[in-house]
Amino acid sequence: MLVLGLIWIYPYIWLLVSSFKPAREIFTTLWPSHFTVEHYQFIFVMSEKLERPFVRALMNSVFISSVVTFSVIVTSAFIGYAIARIDFKAGRYVFNFIIYQMLFPGFMFLIPLFILVRTFGLLNTYGAIIFPSLMSSWGIFMFSQSFKTVPQAYIDAAKMDGAGRIWTVLRIMLPLSRSTASIVGLFTFIGTWDNFLWPLMVMKDYYKMPLSVLLASFNHEYASYVGPVLAGSVLQTIPMVVIFLVLRKYFLQGIAMSLK
Amino acid sequence: MASLKSKDRKFGWGLISIYLAYTAVFWGYPFVWMVVLAFSKWNYFSPLKFVGLANFVRIFQDSTFIRVMLNTVNFLAYLVPMVLFASLAFAIVLAKLRYFRTFIMLSFLVANVSSGVAYSIMFSNIFAVNGPLNKLIYKLFGFTIPWFSDPQLAVFSICLIVTWKFIGYYGLILYAGLQAIPSNLYEAARLDGANRRTIFWKITLPLLNPSLITVVVLSTMLTFGIFTEPYMITGGGPMQRTTTFLIYMYDTAFKRINPSYATTVAVVTAMMSYGLVMLIRRLFEKEVSFV
Repeated sequence: MLVLGLIWIYPYIWLLVSSFKPAREIFTTLWPSHFTVEHYQFIFVMSEKLERPFVRALMNSVFISSVVTFSVIVTSAFIGYAIARIDFKAGRYVFNFIIYQMLFPGFMFLIPLFILVRTFGLLNTYGAIIFPSLMSSWGIFMFSQSFKTVPQAYIDAAKMDGAGRIWTVLRIMLPLSRSTASIVGLFTFIGTWDNFLWPLMVMKDYYKMPLSVLLASFNHEYASYVGPVLAGSVLQTIPMVVIFLVLRKYFLQGIAMSLK
Repeated sequence: MASLKSKDRKFGWGLISIYLAYTAVFWGYPFVWMVVLAFSKWNYFSPLKFVGLANFVRIFQDSTFIRVMLNTVNFLAYLVPMVLFASLAFAIVLAKLRYFRTFIMLSFLVANVSSGVAYSIMFSNIFAVNGPLNKLIYKLFGFTIPWFSDPQLAVFSICLIVTWKFIGYYGLILYAGLQAIPSNLYEAARLDGANRRTIFWKITLPLLNPSLITVVVLSTMLTFGIFTEPYMITGGGPMQRTTTFLIYMYDTAFKRINPSYATTVAVVTAMMSYGLVMLIRRLFEKEVSFV
């Protein structure tokens, strides 16, 4: 089983080792005669001249994913609070609507959403990628479920101390639901980082592309540059793997929770 | 206290209305457009022309769409059994394991967080004609396998790499299901003299039904949404065999400039996926209780 585990991560190891192999040895040797960073040099320096700015794309991905993740956590927490802890009819209706909304697969909306973004003149801007994902029904659902379990005494105590409602959500509810916040954040970040079809549709500007799209187009146009393509794939993979390893505890909890 | 309650409500309404406004723009408006587009003819520039059910009539006479439907059946036929058996085996072994459980869980799960684009590139190189896998096979058996250029094999290969990605995740769902089965059931069965095979077929599998259905449903929905792998590796070929619904939708909308028909494709795809999932649940889902 241990061996199987190693076989399972072998593709990653191959990818990582190959990205440091000299170009001629990528397909010929298992272990290269020497290691080289020429492919990374190509990606960081040369690709700029081909108008395929990898560094920028990496930054774009970081920027887009961070903004979306931050926004989803904050909006989901507040709206989840309204649904779970404020006793009024609208909250219950919204909760039912959110469940109903999650029945529709995302791909149904891709083309109408494209038309919307186009009407707003947002094509080829960061907004086209960021705005449609600022809120998430799934995130609201997760937070409202978790907030339901917070004892009312905490909220009352905060009110007694004169904390405003916004303060209560930020300083009491969010820290108490740290694991939910991590799960929502983790899945949102990975999902946004890995999102491919939507940015492919709305972003044709090489300087604003997230890494996934730039890497794909580079792979189509310069497929013979195997080394740089592999190095780019490593770049695309590493943040996801690192975040996963850091938050792995919550990932497991998240899987357990999403089953209920 | 009454005023506090009403203030609470005001705060709630404020938040809810932000949500409603956002949803109206980014969900409601596209939803209306989706319905409108499905019943009209449009190419982004011309005035919208209402055509009634013409798109839906056309879709079932469209030979490419029928090809894509058959492809999806082809994908389902490989992917669902492969994923189901492999992740079941994974879960069972994981439950029996004493050491290294965390390490093995992590190495299977880390496959699941791989980026679609990056892992497609990775596998298209590993499976390449002169790639490391074919080298190994050539050394051992003296021939090479055209992983992505033979029509059937290309479908199979894509299913193989999707399986690689998802076994950890689905395996964990089944593992959680296994852990939920009370151990006294097994003990009672053993006391009654049941052998291991009987226990597996009569106790484990029936009680695992909810988790198994979850995995089948998730992998079915996954199959309807495959895009990145064929887009990156095969481009939909060879002979259109790996063209999935989403690739067809994308090409129709942006290469053939026909957003209205592409929307119809998306709607029909979603309905078929939903129908199939409902059918699976109707046929196989059973109420399970441990009491």
